[in-house]
Amino acid sequence: MGNAALRDIAVIEDVPFDEIEGVIAVDAHNWLYRYLTTTVKWTASEKYTTADGTEVANLIGIVQGLARFFEHDVTPVMVFDGGPSQLKSEEIESRREQRRTYEEQLETAREEGDEVAIAQLESRTQRLTPTIQETSRELLELLDVPVVEAPAEGEAQAAHLVKRGDADYVGSEDYDALLFGAPLTLRQLTSKGDPELMDLEATLERHDLTLEQLIDAAILIGTDFNEGVSGIGPKTAISEITERGDLWSVLEARGDTIEYGDRVRQLFRDPNVTDDYGFETTIEPDLEAARAYVTDEWSVAAGEVERSFERIEEYATQTGLDRWT
Amino acid sequence: MFKAIVSAETLTSALDSVSVLVDECKIHLEEEGLEIRAVDPANVGMVDLSLEAAAFESYEADGGLIGVDLSRLEDIAGMADSGQLIQLELDEETRKLHIQIDGLEYTLALIDPDSIRQEPDIPELDLPARVVLEGKDVNRSVTAADMVSDHIALGVDEGEEFFYVDAEGDTDDVHLELTREDLIDLQVGPAHSLFSLDYLKDMNKAIPGDAEVTLDLGEEFPVKIYFGFAEGLGQVTYMLAPRIQSD
Repeated sequence: MGNAALRDIAVIEDVPFDEIEGVIAVDAHNWLYRYLTTTVKWTASEKYTTADGTEVANLIGIVQGLARFFEHDVTPVMVFDGGPSQLKSEEIESRREQRRTYEEQLETAREEGDEVAIAQLESRTQRLTPTIQETSRELLELLDVPVVEAPAEGEAQAAHLVKRGDADYVGSEDYDALLFGAPLTLRQLTSKGDPELMDLEATLERHDLTLEQLIDAAILIGTDFNEGVSGIGPKTAISEITERGDLWSVLEARGDTIEYGDRVRQLFRDPNVTDDYGFETTIEPDLEAARAYVTDEWSVAAGEVERSFERIEEYATQTGLDRWT
Repeated sequence: MFKAIVSAETLTSALDSVSVLVDECKIHLEEEGLEIRAVDPANVGMVDLSLEAAAFESYEADGGLIGVDLSRLEDIAGMADSGQLIQLELDEETRKLHIQIDGLEYTLALIDPDSIRQEPDIPELDLPARVVLEGKDVNRSVTAADMVSDHIALGVDEGEEFFYVDAEGDTDDVHLELTREDLIDLQVGPAHSLFSLDYLKDMNKAIPGDAEVTLDLGEEFPVKIYFGFAEGLGQVTYMLAPRIQSD
């Protein structure tokens, strides 16, 4: 999920949703994951579980989340992860490990009837199952929301879209978006309050660093792909990089090493992304089909999604004056 | 170069009719008068405003362009009583607008016009029906519709020759008919379109009750709403895109 220590470095400010316009390249896994954890935490599972026990809370999340975008006249483009990069697979392995621990704890909590612990642990054990992946894509297609498939990290591809001018913002909770060179990143898109805008240029200016140096500083602190150097926090990382210029000089001076440091660096500097994508930003959802898909085919309680569908409909039926120019 | 003296009432009317749609706008300071054109971020409602030089007590300009924060400027104009005069002068060097109201001096920092949303192209519309009515009837229609719904249908009955307003709520409905006798003028044509009341309510706020308002309408077409102010020396035109009618 990126390193939260980057927050202390990044220039971040709250920005009202109404002031955001244009296209947001959303890191889809990241976004869905947020909805899964909150939906599961706060609503009863029978509302989004089919007769055979398949959980499709993601469908509620998508409908709610898209309504929020449309209502504020921003166009989402969903960027899905491709295969994990080799380095990240270690992180995934450790998350799996953690999930097993949570699942064991969940089992115990259920036996003991500890409601609070159950709710907390259920949200932590959520994962993007094949069903969730598949149904998410199908629903997005019915709602005519553009989807881009990333060759590797969705976040890197989303940043690439913004760099090429095909989108205005990256949408991700992950501070790593900064390291992938995303000029503007919106966080807190799934929360009730105002989103946060993370600005790369302002961040570099504040610390008088180049993007390459920022990446080096982040590697010292630790990223999704590597453990940081113990004892180096955001402040030290910045001052060390400023003083010595780059990662290697800092490590040499301190007598420290970082496993795979050069590969992690390469991953941020030259991420695996593609120019091979295309999408239309005029969105014409098939609401009837989308409603049927969610409530009939996947047995989600209509009450859970109706209000959000109405909000999407509101957007879909309002024309723009540009149609007549 | 821009230097002008204008009554607070005229300036306020002009600013209010734009600020119902946008927070910032570009103002063209033409030799013949002021021009403002702006569209809301969703591209649904547009305003096109002109205020002739003759509407000012004095007016000198040579084609400059400034960007302003409308609520700021409205706040300042609000410091004057409606009959009072407001003096405006652009400092080209500092890009600031000096505003004087009876000894009160205010220096307003302007906004870089390039940072303001691009001015919209004006849709080319050939609207078959025309309804001319009093501002207070527009207000009555919008207010009544707003009690029951988020949308309002505006149309013309070609056979019976009247203008009508429809709003359907979940439980209650509103219907209003205005015949030739109730209207200032009516040109009959095929017209029925549905509009968002959110926008129409905002536009309505800027329409004076005693103004003569013209509505040009078509079938699922934008409505063009226009009226004069400042004794006819100012003109406001709104355009509002329709909603698609599902049923």
